[in-house]
Amino acid sequence: MRRGSIVQLALFAAVAATLGVLLALLPNWLPIAASREAGRIHFVFWFVTGICVFIFAIVAAVLGYAVWKFRRPPDDDTDGPPIHGHTGLEIAWTAIPFLLVTAIAIVSAIVLAKDDAAGANPLRIDVVAQQFKWSFFYPSLGRKESDELVLPVNRSVVLTMTSKDVIHSFWVPEFSQKQDVVPGIHPTLHITPDRIGTYPVICTELCGEGHALMRSRARVLSATGFAKWAKSGRAAGAPAPSAAGPGAALFTAQGCIACHTLAAAGSHGTIGPDLDKLKAEAARAGKALPAFVRESIVSPNAYVEPHFPKNTMPQNFAQKLTKSQLTSLVRFLVTSAKKGSK
Amino acid sequence: MTTFTGIAAEHDEAHVAHGPKPPPRGWRRLLYPGFLRAAWMAPLFFGIGSGIVCLLRWWGGWHPIWFGSIITLVGALVALPIGFLAGIGAFDYWVRYAIGAPTQPEDHSGHGAYSWRDYFRVNTDHKVIGIQYLTTTIFFFLAAGLLALMVRAELAKPGMQFFDNQTYNGLFSVHASLMIFLFVIPAFAGIANFVVPLMLGAPDMAFPRLNALSYWLLPIAGIMMLCSFIVPGGAFAAGWTGYAPLSVHQPLGTIFFNMGVQWAGASSIMTALNFLVTIITMRAPGMTFWRMPLLVWANFTTSLLVVIATPFIAGSQFFVMFDRVMHTSFFETGGGGYALGYQHIFWFYSHPAVYIMMLPGFGIASEVISVMARKPIFGYRLMALSLLAILVLGFSVWAHHMFVSGMAPWLRVPMMITTLLIAIPTGIKVFSWLATLWDGKILFCTPMLWALGFVSMFVIGGLSGIYLGAVPIDIHVSDTYFVVAHIHYVLFGGSLFTIFAGIYYWFPKMTGRMYDERLGKLHFWLTFVGFNATFFPMHLIGVQGMPRRVSDYDPIFAHWNMFISVASFGLGASTIVFLYNMVHSMRFGRVAESNPWRSLTIEWQVSSPPPVFNFDEIPQVIGNPYEYGVPGARHAVLGGVREGIGAEPVPVD
Repeated sequence: MRRGSIVQLALFAAVAATLGVLLALLPNWLPIAASREAGRIHFVFWFVTGICVFIFAIVAAVLGYAVWKFRRPPDDDTDGPPIHGHTGLEIAWTAIPFLLVTAIAIVSAIVLAKDDAAGANPLRIDVVAQQFKWSFFYPSLGRKESDELVLPVNRSVVLTMTSKDVIHSFWVPEFSQKQDVVPGIHPTLHITPDRIGTYPVICTELCGEGHALMRSRARVLSATGFAKWAKSGRAAGAPAPSAAGPGAALFTAQGCIACHTLAAAGSHGTIGPDLDKLKAEAARAGKALPAFVRESIVSPNAYVEPHFPKNTMPQNFAQKLTKSQLTSLVRFLVTSAKKGSK
Repeated sequence: MTTFTGIAAEHDEAHVAHGPKPPPRGWRRLLYPGFLRAAWMAPLFFGIGSGIVCLLRWWGGWHPIWFGSIITLVGALVALPIGFLAGIGAFDYWVRYAIGAPTQPEDHSGHGAYSWRDYFRVNTDHKVIGIQYLTTTIFFFLAAGLLALMVRAELAKPGMQFFDNQTYNGLFSVHASLMIFLFVIPAFAGIANFVVPLMLGAPDMAFPRLNALSYWLLPIAGIMMLCSFIVPGGAFAAGWTGYAPLSVHQPLGTIFFNMGVQWAGASSIMTALNFLVTIITMRAPGMTFWRMPLLVWANFTTSLLVVIATPFIAGSQFFVMFDRVMHTSFFETGGGGYALGYQHIFWFYSHPAVYIMMLPGFGIASEVISVMARKPIFGYRLMALSLLAILVLGFSVWAHHMFVSGMAPWLRVPMMITTLLIAIPTGIKVFSWLATLWDGKILFCTPMLWALGFVSMFVIGGLSGIYLGAVPIDIHVSDTYFVVAHIHYVLFGGSLFTIFAGIYYWFPKMTGRMYDERLGKLHFWLTFVGFNATFFPMHLIGVQGMPRRVSDYDPIFAHWNMFISVASFGLGASTIVFLYNMVHSMRFGRVAESNPWRSLTIEWQVSSPPPVFNFDEIPQVIGNPYEYGVPGARHAVLGGVREGIGAEPVPVD
C-alpha cells in the first residue's frame, strides 16, 4: 500500500458505519408488530440490516477513500501500479460473503419454519377474494360471514384462501404475513395476533381497475370480545342481507358493493356509477328503469355512463347468475332506486 | 476454389468506400426499398392478413366475419409490420435467394453512413446500427420517463387527481415495458453493436443483414406498445408482468403487449445469436478468450442468457393471447389451466432478464474504471468467471419472485439459497472494482462519475436484494414500494448509470467529437441527487405498508409521496441537460482525437469515428487488454494506424 493509510481508511469506515447505523435507527422503519410472526420477521429484518450496514461500511469506506485519496493530479499522465490481483484477497471476498449469506439463509429458514407452523387448536377462517372485495367466513361459527377480519388475540389462526376471479394478495402490514390468493388453489397463511387493535387489510397483487381500493380491516379483539362478536347476529359492518331479500345478498356476494355506491347496501364504491342515481341514468340511456338495470348487468357495454370507462364492469354476469338470481337482483335495484328518489 | 477467390477479390474491391446507389426516378421509386415502398406494402400486408382472417371466419361460419380484435391482432400486429419490413427492404436479399432468383452480389451500397439519410434505411454497418439502436432507445426512454412522471403526478397526493384507475394502471404498465424491452435491453445491444466488433478486431458482425433486421424489429415493438393507448379500453394495464388470469380478461390493449414482446424478443434473440457467432468466430488473430475485454465477456454471457431465456417469455405471452382469442385454458382454472404456471414461465425468463439488463453494464463499468484509474482490472479471470457464475445461477432463482404466490412451499428455501449465493459472484465484481480503484490515478471525467455512481448505487440495490432474498422479509415487503425502490436501484442506479457511462465514454468514438464535460458532470450530479431523493424514501414507505401499483393510498404516506414526486420531476428535468449536451456536442463539440482516454483496447486504435470497414488490415492481438502501468505493454498491433498509442493526454476538465 504505497499511498493508502490503514488508519485513514478505518476512519472512513467508522464514519460510513455510523451513517449506516443512523439510517437504520432514525426513521421508523417497521410498522408495529401485531403478531408473533411479525416479531420473528422483524428479527430477521434487523439481523440482515446488521450485515448490510457492515458491508455498506466497507464498500463506502473504500470507495470514498479511493475517490478522496487517489485523484489524478492535473498534469500527471502516468499509470497506477500494475497490480493484477491478489489470491488471498480474492479468496477472502468470496469466503466471507459466503459465510454471511449462509447465516442469513439459516436464520431465515428457521423463522420460516416457525411462521409456517400453526399453533394448537387454531381458529380456521376462509378468506374469499374477488374484484374488489374481501369476505371472511368462520366455519366454526356456522359459516358466519364478515366483511372485516375479526380475530381473537393470542390464538393461532389459519386462513385458507380462495379467489373467485383473478389473483389477489392478502396482506396486513402489522402482521407481516402475506399470501397471494390464486384461483384454483387454496393456499393457507398462519397468523397469531398478539396485540389488540385495528389494522388495514390490503390487496397487494394488481387485480384490475379497483385494485387500489380493495381494502378491508382486521380487528384483533380480546378473547371475551371475540366471543361476544361471535354470538352477535351478524358480522359487524356487514350489510343486513336478509332485510331486503335475496337481491341485496346477491349485491354483496357478487361483489357489486366494491365498485358501486348504493345506500340500501351501505356501499360507497366509486369505480362504477352511483346506483342511488339509477333513475337519472336510465333516463339518460333512454330506457325504462327495470329494462335498463337488467341490460346494464348482462351487457354492461350497451350503455356506459359518461366519464366511466367501458369494459370495466365484468361482462359475465349473464353466465354467472341464474335467471331467478338475476330477477331478484334487478328487483332489489329497481326498488331501492325508486325509494331513493321518492 | 477459384470461384471463391474470385468472389473474395470482387468483394474486396467493393470495400472501396462508396455511398448508396441513387434511387431511381419516377414510378420505379415505388419499388425501391425504403419508406415509400413500406408506405404501400404495409397496408397491402394488412389487407392480406385481414382478408385471410375474414375468409377463415366466413368458411368456418363464425359471426361477425369482420371481428375487430382478431383483425387487430393478425392484420395490424402481425401482417402490417411484416409488410413494413419487406417495404424498407429488410428481406430483399433473402427473398431473392428463397425464390431462386439470382442474388445480387454484395456491393456494400447498404453499408455505412454517408449522410443522415443513411440512418433511416436498412443499413448493414454495425456502427450505423449501433447508433440507430441508441437513438431509438433514447426516444423510448424519454417516452417511458414521461409516463413515469405522469404516474408520480397522480401519486403526489392521495385520492384521484388526473387519471382514472384503469388509465393509471396503463401508465405504469407501459412505463415498465418500454423501459425494459425498448430501452435497457436494446440500449446495451446498441452500445455493444458499435463497440464489440471493433474491440474484437472484426470488420463487422457475423451476420450484417440479420443485424439490420434485428434493429428494425425494435421500433415496431415500441410503437406497438405506445399505440395501445389509443385502442378502446386503453393501454395494457396488468403491469409489465402481465399476470394471468387478469391479463387474459383485460381490454384489447393487452394484445399490444403480448405481440410487442414478441417483436422485441425476436430482435433480442437475433442480436444475441449474432453476438455469439461474432465473438466465437471473428476474433482477431491472437485474441484468445482470456484476452478479450470484459465488455466482450459481458456481452458473450448476456447473449447466452438471451438465447436461452427469451423463448420462455415469448411462450408465456402467446399462451395468454391464446387463452384470450382462441379460448384455450393454459392459465384459466375453469378449463383446467394453472394460474401459477404463467408466473413460473414468465419468471424463468424475467429473472435472467435482470442479468440481461445488468451484465453488459458490468462490462461497461469494467472498461471505464480500468482506463480512468490507469490500472489493470483486478482479478481479470475471476471477473470473467463470475459473469459465467451469474449466468448459471441466474437460471436457478426464478421462484424468488413467487415466495408469496402459493407455489409449493418447499420450493422457497432452495430458491432462497440460490438467490443469496448470487451475492457472491456479484460481490466479487464489486470488490474487484474497488481494488482496481485502489492506488490508481483516478480521472473524474463524466464516464467515470457514472461508473462510480453505478458501483455505489448498485451496492445499495444489491443489499436491498438480500432483504428480498430472505424469505421472511420478502413475505413482508413483497409487492410493496420496497420492491419498487429495489428494482430502480438495480435498473436505474445500475443499468441506466452504466448506459450513460457507455454513451459518454464512447461518444468521441461514435461521433468524432467531444461532449461538453461541464454539462456531463452537471447531468451526473443532478441525476444522482434526484435519483436518490426519488427512490430511497420508497424503501421506507414500502416497509411501512404502502403497496405498489396503486393509484390511491393511505394518507399517512402523503408527505413522502409528495416529496418523491417533487424529486422525480427534478430527476426528469436532468435529462434535458443530457439531451442538450448530446445534440449540441454532436454538431459543435470539439473534434475528438482517436484515443482521448489513452485506452489500450482496439476500438480506440482506429480513427474517431472509425473507417466504414473498421480496419485496413486485421489487427494482431499480442497482449491483455488492461495492461496499464506495465511498461511498453500493448494489447494489439494495427497495420497502418498507430496514432492512438502514446498520444498526448487530453485535458478533459
